[in-house]
Amino acid sequence: MSFTKKIFSIALFCIFCTVLISCNGGKKKLPILGERDWTTKTIDGKEVTDTIYNVIPAYKFVNQNGDTITEKVTEGKIYVSDFFFTSCPTICPVMKKQMVKVYQEFKGNPEVMIVSHTIDPDHDTPKVLNQFAKDLGVSGNQWQFLTGPKEKIYEIGQKSYMSTAKQDSTAEGGYIHSGAFILVDKEKHVRGMYDGTTEEGTKNLVADMKLLLEEYKNGK
Amino acid sequence: MANNQLSVTGIISLFPELMHFRPVISKYIILLPMVLGAFSCTDAEELKKEQYFSEGYQLYTANCSNCHQPDGRGMANLYPPLVSSVALKNKGLLSCIIKYGMKDTILVAGKQFSRPMPANPKLTELEIAEIMTFVSVKWAKDSVYTRIGFVTGSLADCQKRQGSTNL
Repeated sequence: MSFTKKIFSIALFCIFCTVLISCNGGKKKLPILGERDWTTKTIDGKEVTDTIYNVIPAYKFVNQNGDTITEKVTEGKIYVSDFFFTSCPTICPVMKKQMVKVYQEFKGNPEVMIVSHTIDPDHDTPKVLNQFAKDLGVSGNQWQFLTGPKEKIYEIGQKSYMSTAKQDSTAEGGYIHSGAFILVDKEKHVRGMYDGTTEEGTKNLVADMKLLLEEYKNGK
Repeated sequence: MANNQLSVTGIISLFPELMHFRPVISKYIILLPMVLGAFSCTDAEELKKEQYFSEGYQLYTANCSNCHQPDGRGMANLYPPLVSSVALKNKGLLSCIIKYGMKDTILVAGKQFSRPMPANPKLTELEIAEIMTFVSVKWAKDSVYTRIGFVTGSLADCQKRQGSTNL
């Protein structure tokens, strides 16, 4: 094959790919993450398999104002969740700096919330969380700082948000936890995990949040 | 000179395209010892300052910048800024805070901060001197590096320095 022919066929292939991608509805849809299960039902004599996705279960925690908060607080909203503790000397300050950017970007948007869980409830009482939120420059209810029974926090972190959160006396500050920001949709499915310690991870999160909001706007 | 010629030939045999630049290259190779000589004439102190500064930058990034931020401006009302902090001028106190942490409520640039700063028992005196060199050259226009001896002396009487809360 001559050189020009080769170039020509590569170009043709590229055009073909572009057309293929643009025919695909144009919009990227976020995946549903987490463990899956299947059930098989018989409807009208036919066997139908249904996928059961990972869903954030019901919970009950207390927020920075001392109010009891359940999963209902995010009803009809998409939200970002993370795990931290106020006296953390390592990645938390970096994560909070990034989360403030998310907060600023969606401030006042009734469809968006942020839910931060402390993993050190012994120290991080509602009062401590309240001061922390104030010092961070956060007011109102759009960003919830939650505390509660330790085992419940670790359970929801590990099982539902797929995020490491536990006590470890060998770690600096006494706890280990992932630096992930977790994006949850209105159906309480996890739709994305992002590196909350980097500028890039946060940019990706903000972009995906806009995509997700767009999904709802266009009627799912 | 013979040596220079030899190495030029060596380089050119490796990269024949360089043939055109032969006279230019030999000129530079002759210049090289002169340039090196000029560098060794710069103050040994200046070189040490640069060494401390760049080591200090690495250490600052690893140990301090999570809270105080890469630009030294701190974060909201959570973590105080280093830029514009009086603490940068009080180096004795600064070394104590780096090594032993701090629990007081302090006033920095008109804002109150009350979150404790953790101690850094793992940092050696050399490392503390390097961090102090970095922060004070960068943000307090210091022109000399901080010596290890100074840190050793300061750490010996940290007890006396407690109680200063206006930083």
